[in-house]
Amino acid sequence: MTHELRAEDLSLGYGPQDVVSHLDVEIPDGKITVIVGANACGKSTLLRGLARLLAPRTGSVILDGKRVQDLRSVEVARVLGLLPQTPVAPDGITVADLVGRGRYPHQSWFRRWSAEDDAAVAAAMESTGTAELADRPLSALSGGQRQRVWVAMALAQDTDLVLLDEPTTYLDINHQVELLDLLTDLNRRHAKTIVLVLHDLNLACRYADHIIAMKAGAIIREGAPIDVIDAAVVTEVFGLPCEVLPDPVSRTPMIVPRGRHHVPVPESV
Amino acid sequence: MATPTLVQDTDVEHAVGTIQRGRVVRKGRVLGVTTALALLAFALFVATMMVGSFPVTPWEVIASTFRLGSDPSVDFVVRDLRLPVATTALAVGLAMGVSGLVFQKLLANPLASPDFVGISSGAGLAAVGSIILLNVSAMFVSVAALGGALVAALLIYLLAWRDGITGYRFILIGIGVSELMVALTGYLIARADIFEAREAMTWLVGSVGNAGPTQLRILLVALAVLLPLTLVLNRHLDVLELGDDAAKALGANVERMRLVLLAVAVVLVALATAAAGPLPFVALIAGPIAVRLIGANGSGLVAAAFVGALIVLVADLVAQHVVPVELPTGVVTGAIGAPYLIWLLATVNREGRGG
Repeated sequence: MTHELRAEDLSLGYGPQDVVSHLDVEIPDGKITVIVGANACGKSTLLRGLARLLAPRTGSVILDGKRVQDLRSVEVARVLGLLPQTPVAPDGITVADLVGRGRYPHQSWFRRWSAEDDAAVAAAMESTGTAELADRPLSALSGGQRQRVWVAMALAQDTDLVLLDEPTTYLDINHQVELLDLLTDLNRRHAKTIVLVLHDLNLACRYADHIIAMKAGAIIREGAPIDVIDAAVVTEVFGLPCEVLPDPVSRTPMIVPRGRHHVPVPESV
Repeated sequence: MATPTLVQDTDVEHAVGTIQRGRVVRKGRVLGVTTALALLAFALFVATMMVGSFPVTPWEVIASTFRLGSDPSVDFVVRDLRLPVATTALAVGLAMGVSGLVFQKLLANPLASPDFVGISSGAGLAAVGSIILLNVSAMFVSVAALGGALVAALLIYLLAWRDGITGYRFILIGIGVSELMVALTGYLIARADIFEAREAMTWLVGSVGNAGPTQLRILLVALAVLLPLTLVLNRHLDVLELGDDAAKALGANVERMRLVLLAVAVVLVALATAAAGPLPFVALIAGPIAVRLIGANGSGLVAAAFVGALIVLVADLVAQHVVPVELPTGVVTGAIGAPYLIWLLATVNREGRGG
């Protein structure tokens, strides 16, 4: 099923200042979109705004032709899921119980736990490789396992759009790649539209079908990484002088920072 | 730790089986523990009515309670003297136990019980004020206590509101409000004459023997309505526990659900406090004990209610019959609760959570 998710003239903020101002953006359906930018550029804010966790100050978020503010929150939650940056795990909760909480929007006071919920939880745990952890307490797991459990909870929600706010933070490089491979699997196999905020530009360029580079609450560039990421853009967005080379594995742009203490080594050496 | 590259249907079927079995086991554990607690609470409920200067057998207690007995002297002792106190202990314990756990889950902190965040002290100030300044009947004192608890809760909620409620701000402001109420209560008692001060102090310690029949009836009706309501609302509590962002992303109406759950918990603890005074620590310790017994197998709200009832029934039994002088119930719950609080504060800080 295809979905439309876009923002029109969207302004968002917390204090007196807007963090994101008058922004227009469209999330391509069925693709992996990655939002990148320096700290405090508004990328997480934009993601939270798209997932209606922040009320717009101007403009609106449109989901399938309707303003998100006009839809019931639980209806939105059956189409669009979000894994926040720092969700809270209740003390002592087991993996299966936590993943099961993703079924909330499919239940109501008269419609309690059903076979369909069991199936969705099982599928989510199986595809994230967490099924064998089902009865373990979350607190007994490693950081990488824990993050896969949270992703499983977001998947149990069974939405076509999945938004993830910095899901690779606190993971080592191996687990980062593993998680991004998993999200790519979900995107390719189940045609889920995935939107991520990532810090690592090289991984962003490799895994994104569509990249959105933000600075100071505005979009500087967006498009396929290979078309839009070059040294000039990285320098503008991050203020970082760098070289951009083709990634030897994926041929996507790979960023090599210059820093102040190193001079380029001549290629002939 | 390899991420599976291909998910087979048989794997999913296997996982469904694992999850269903796990759910049945967890439900069984919750049901087992809760039933055991309920039976224990009932046994204590009967036991508190057996002992005293006129000993009665358990069968006489049960027969008389359910109006099956025919011995008028037993009926008088059980139904008129002991049943109201035992019922108050049971009802107050149930209400405080469930209310405390709802607070702790909602504010994600083991210290967030209503006797900590100023709701009980709001009730205390209003009750003491009505005793000393207005010289009113016991019935009005409990109405005042109810009002005081509700006003304190509303005050904390409004002061803590800033684009929503966070657990930390609610607790800190609640402690501040609590201190203010305690200070004002102290001022009133210091100015009162000795008889009023004594009456006020007695109320403040709390005793299940204080409740009048009307207060008890109101509490029982509230329990009959609000306990099932809490269970219906439990699935919202389950997602609110994951933090505001996760709960909103799952489609929960976070602010409304939090307000409704807080209101239910406040009304329960306010009515319990109005009936028996602010029995210290019952709401604080019932929830964690229930959660420890149930483990990660369920929410434990019903178990917390029964643990609360057990604590108050035991405290009443000890206060009336075990110690050489008869004490108010609150002295005993305080004596049980204070060491727990010290242990909690010590371990919470060591683990770097909550507190």
